[in-house]
Amino acid sequence: MPEQLEIFVDSVKESFEDMIISADVKGPNQVEIVVKKEHIIEVAESLKHDMGFTYPSAAGGMDYLNENKMQMIYYVQNPRTGLFLFYRVDLARDNLKISTLTQVWDAMSFHEREANEMFGIEFHGHTDMRPLLLPPDWKGGYPLRKDFKGEGISE
Amino acid sequence: MTEPKLEPDIQRISWGPQHPMSGQTRILLDTDGEKIHKIIADLGYTHRGIEKILENRTYFQGIVPIERMVMADTANIGISYITAIEKAAGIDVPERAQWIRSLVCEMARINTHLYAFGLQAESTGYFPAVFLWTTTDRTVLLDLLEELTGARWSYNFFLPGGVQKDFPEGFEDKIIKGVNYLRDRFQEYWDAMVENYTFEIRTKDVAYLSAEDAVRLGATGPVLRGSGVSIDMRKESPYAAYEDLDWKIITEKEGDCLARTKVRYKEIGQALNIMEQVASEIPEGPIKTRVSPFLRIPKNEVYSRVETGRGEIGIHLFTDGKDKPYRVKINSPTLRNMYVFERMAELTYMTMADMVVVINSIDPWYLDSDR
Repeated sequence: MPEQLEIFVDSVKESFEDMIISADVKGPNQVEIVVKKEHIIEVAESLKHDMGFTYPSAAGGMDYLNENKMQMIYYVQNPRTGLFLFYRVDLARDNLKISTLTQVWDAMSFHEREANEMFGIEFHGHTDMRPLLLPPDWKGGYPLRKDFKGEGISE
Repeated sequence: MTEPKLEPDIQRISWGPQHPMSGQTRILLDTDGEKIHKIIADLGYTHRGIEKILENRTYFQGIVPIERMVMADTANIGISYITAIEKAAGIDVPERAQWIRSLVCEMARINTHLYAFGLQAESTGYFPAVFLWTTTDRTVLLDLLEELTGARWSYNFFLPGGVQKDFPEGFEDKIIKGVNYLRDRFQEYWDAMVENYTFEIRTKDVAYLSAEDAVRLGATGPVLRGSGVSIDMRKESPYAAYEDLDWKIITEKEGDCLARTKVRYKEIGQALNIMEQVASEIPEGPIKTRVSPFLRIPKNEVYSRVETGRGEIGIHLFTDGKDKPYRVKINSPTLRNMYVFERMAELTYMTMADMVVVINSIDPWYLDSDR
């Protein structure tokens, strides 16, 4: 199995070349692709239609405060082979805008809404960006960021 | 929640959170006469910020809050976090402990499926008796769990490196006795409910979900397997002792509410088989490797996937050398299935009367989706 994963990673590197930053084997049956922000849609379309990653699992944000960046992680699976993919995009903390991936995997809708309210990542093109879990009158900032102080609701 | 705009000639009905069948959530139903035109889920009533809470707890302390995600299924939720910790820290678990874990996980699975099964009976309106049966029969499992773990509901029985206690004296025989009792009872459920004409007309061909749609919308657990897709984390990324145990993935092709109920029913049968196997074939040996309660894990990142009663839970654990995790991302199954439910109104013809049956067929647990 590990050789097959290596072959897959090599084929990803070959077909996307400079659209991605890196592609690695992460564990048994798990691979990771870090994509450049401007090519996020193209690569996702190709992963879905040509490489069989049709089964969206979840998505979520991640705050690397020390490196002054955030990351959006999409979890997708190939239902035939069982190959699990971490599809990641780096975002600078002062520019948290990104194109929505709901146009490729529409089940990412809830997860992008959650990342928006918890991390402040803005999804360009998402049609329904209402808060998902936080109360509608929440003004306390973005709770899952590492520099969140816990102010809660304030007037 | 800020409500989306209402379309013309559509009436909006707010269902829950005080409805007897709704649980802790509100569903907005845009109805066109009796037909449901659109479903809007309003989640977050039980959002406690478990992901943030875990960042402020040591690895051992975190086991307690994370099990609060699903009270009927604490073992399966707990093991997802614990396998993530073990993977990140490289802790070996003795074989006997893995078998005991599988046993407790399967007992929790029966427990939660029984609850879902009872609610499904209740929601069709014909079988309040079945809910009482399942609740009563559950006590057989709860008694066994109490004897083994010391608790009837939230066990906190698994620890990184193993389990807390070994089987008490004569416990294997008690398992076999419990399994035999439950087998007889399940035959009665099947006759009284699943094959009952009145149950069938309420659930057959209701909320049909094709295999393609189930995959495309990211359905998981019995919802996915009820549409004929054979994906189960116990085979996909084996944990505990599932690799050594003999069991098979249950699928049903029909993709309707009845199929989802049947999947749960048959999974209970598989779980009983596993319980029997554990009781008769469990290997001897130690039940834990010693792990310091002040565990520190160097910078690492792991993803563990576990099949709970509602479907796949994914724990993405980020560590940074401290005694607390840097971040824990929980990908909960109910959140995924709620999205499927939201889209079902567009995929099939659903009426107001079907609504309660359909939402119980996905078996939502809002403490799980809200975290």
